[in-house]
Amino acid sequence: MTLGLDLDYLDRSSRGEFDLGWLRNGRSEWGVRAKPGKTGLTLRDIAIGTYGAVPDHAPRRSMAPRGSDIDPDVPDLGYTINDKAEVWSDNVLDLYEEAVSRQWSATRDIPWRDLPDLDPDLEHAMCQLATVLSEVEMVAADFPAKWLWRINHDFVEAKMFLCTQVMDEARHTEVFRKRALANGGGLGRASAVVERFLQLILDAESYDEGSALMHLLGEGIVLSLFRAGEFLAPSPVETQIFRLCMQDEARHVAYGTMHLRYRLDRDPSVAEDFHAYLDKGEEIIAMIFATPEIVEPTAILAAGGVAQAAELGTAAGEVMRHQIIGDYLKRCEHAGLDRRGRLHLPDVLIEGVPGAMPEPVAS
Amino acid sequence: MTPIAAPFPSDRWFADLAHRAGADPAAMERLGIAELRIGFEMVGDGGGSWLFGLVFDGYDVDAVTGAEVSGFVPEVVVSGPLSAWEEMVRSIEANGRADAGHTLNTLSITGVPFTVRSADAMGQDKLYRYMGTIQAVLDAAGAEPVAVAGR
Repeated sequence: MTLGLDLDYLDRSSRGEFDLGWLRNGRSEWGVRAKPGKTGLTLRDIAIGTYGAVPDHAPRRSMAPRGSDIDPDVPDLGYTINDKAEVWSDNVLDLYEEAVSRQWSATRDIPWRDLPDLDPDLEHAMCQLATVLSEVEMVAADFPAKWLWRINHDFVEAKMFLCTQVMDEARHTEVFRKRALANGGGLGRASAVVERFLQLILDAESYDEGSALMHLLGEGIVLSLFRAGEFLAPSPVETQIFRLCMQDEARHVAYGTMHLRYRLDRDPSVAEDFHAYLDKGEEIIAMIFATPEIVEPTAILAAGGVAQAAELGTAAGEVMRHQIIGDYLKRCEHAGLDRRGRLHLPDVLIEGVPGAMPEPVAS
Repeated sequence: MTPIAAPFPSDRWFADLAHRAGADPAAMERLGIAELRIGFEMVGDGGGSWLFGLVFDGYDVDAVTGAEVSGFVPEVVVSGPLSAWEEMVRSIEANGRADAGHTLNTLSITGVPFTVRSADAMGQDKLYRYMGTIQAVLDAAGAEPVAVAGR
């Protein structure tokens, strides 16, 4: 049907004939009254009646709010992600509320004036690490932003959560860029290997693929790096930066893990697809473990200087590597994707990590 | 600084800790929503252990005490020698907050002296998600108690 100007209605409205009569016989649940909980009125509080029912397959492709009375002539907006399992996670409503309530400011909440003068090696190392983090964090904004407009509006809670991730990652990019420029060091070097991993995420052919690579693999690694921040931080200023970023990053990883679990619960046949995505990602991650732009600043910061890096930095690097791979395997297991014994990482990287090496074949 | 009067570790000490933290609701709201059941396990020299718990619910935090203890199922447990826990608390009391060497994250990151265990990855990741909130509550052991009407 072609939409046209309703001259009859224009005439009636010019005479002030307003009575909402067209709204009286709608399907909406008149009388619904969501009650706020102890933290306020949350998404879970309003997930009541038919409003809380999220369809497994969206019946139309419009921006009409789920549960509203929808004009049959709404246009098709061309959403390509119309199945709930493609984006949903059981914790997404709570993660959205958590994200909104735990926002912070890279301008206000970091004690920038307390940055001490550092040994030049430490300043170089910190600035190089800040360069890498400023680089990689933005992909975790670009990726959800690239897919947001393709996700059906019936899954609006998942879209809203991804919007919080975009904001989180903008702030992470901001805080690490500010750190690089705040203490005399400036930005360091961006590496081709890192950019290749970011390209893999951005060029993912499906949300499934990109989410597995980013939420589960990439952000899982960065989360471990942030957690190690209290070892790496040369001053309390960086400690605060790493801690605040860690909390945000863990939220994104929690979404990715539970999203994959939801996806596999509904369709176990896609498990091999996810294995294939992660095979590709791990192959590049292996190269990142041998990238000086990341390995050297991390070792030097952990050791507290270049002179100590050979011994202490190497040991700290091993602890971090074990933690990164161990945590990643646990998340995959919780999601229902067992990567134990089939990691695409060289033996030298996974030796000593429980469950990482393939089980020996019984003779 | 006024240390918590109750002996550490004890149910009463954790209850007072939660009360101190919760007495500043604006600070708890500023930290943001947290949903977590966390256990703190203290292992004595003889191998015996004691479990204490905190429950984070929105902006609130409560200690697990009395009859609740037996039914308490934490999502994540931080475990370590009693002496290391005591050292952490003394550091907080002395400095008003944990110094860099005595934060929960620092003490648990390498597995020495504290280990982290959870039934699944989500429990462990919740420790990371709420680390700032948990630390702020532990740091309440070093803060002046907030005067609360009726207490």
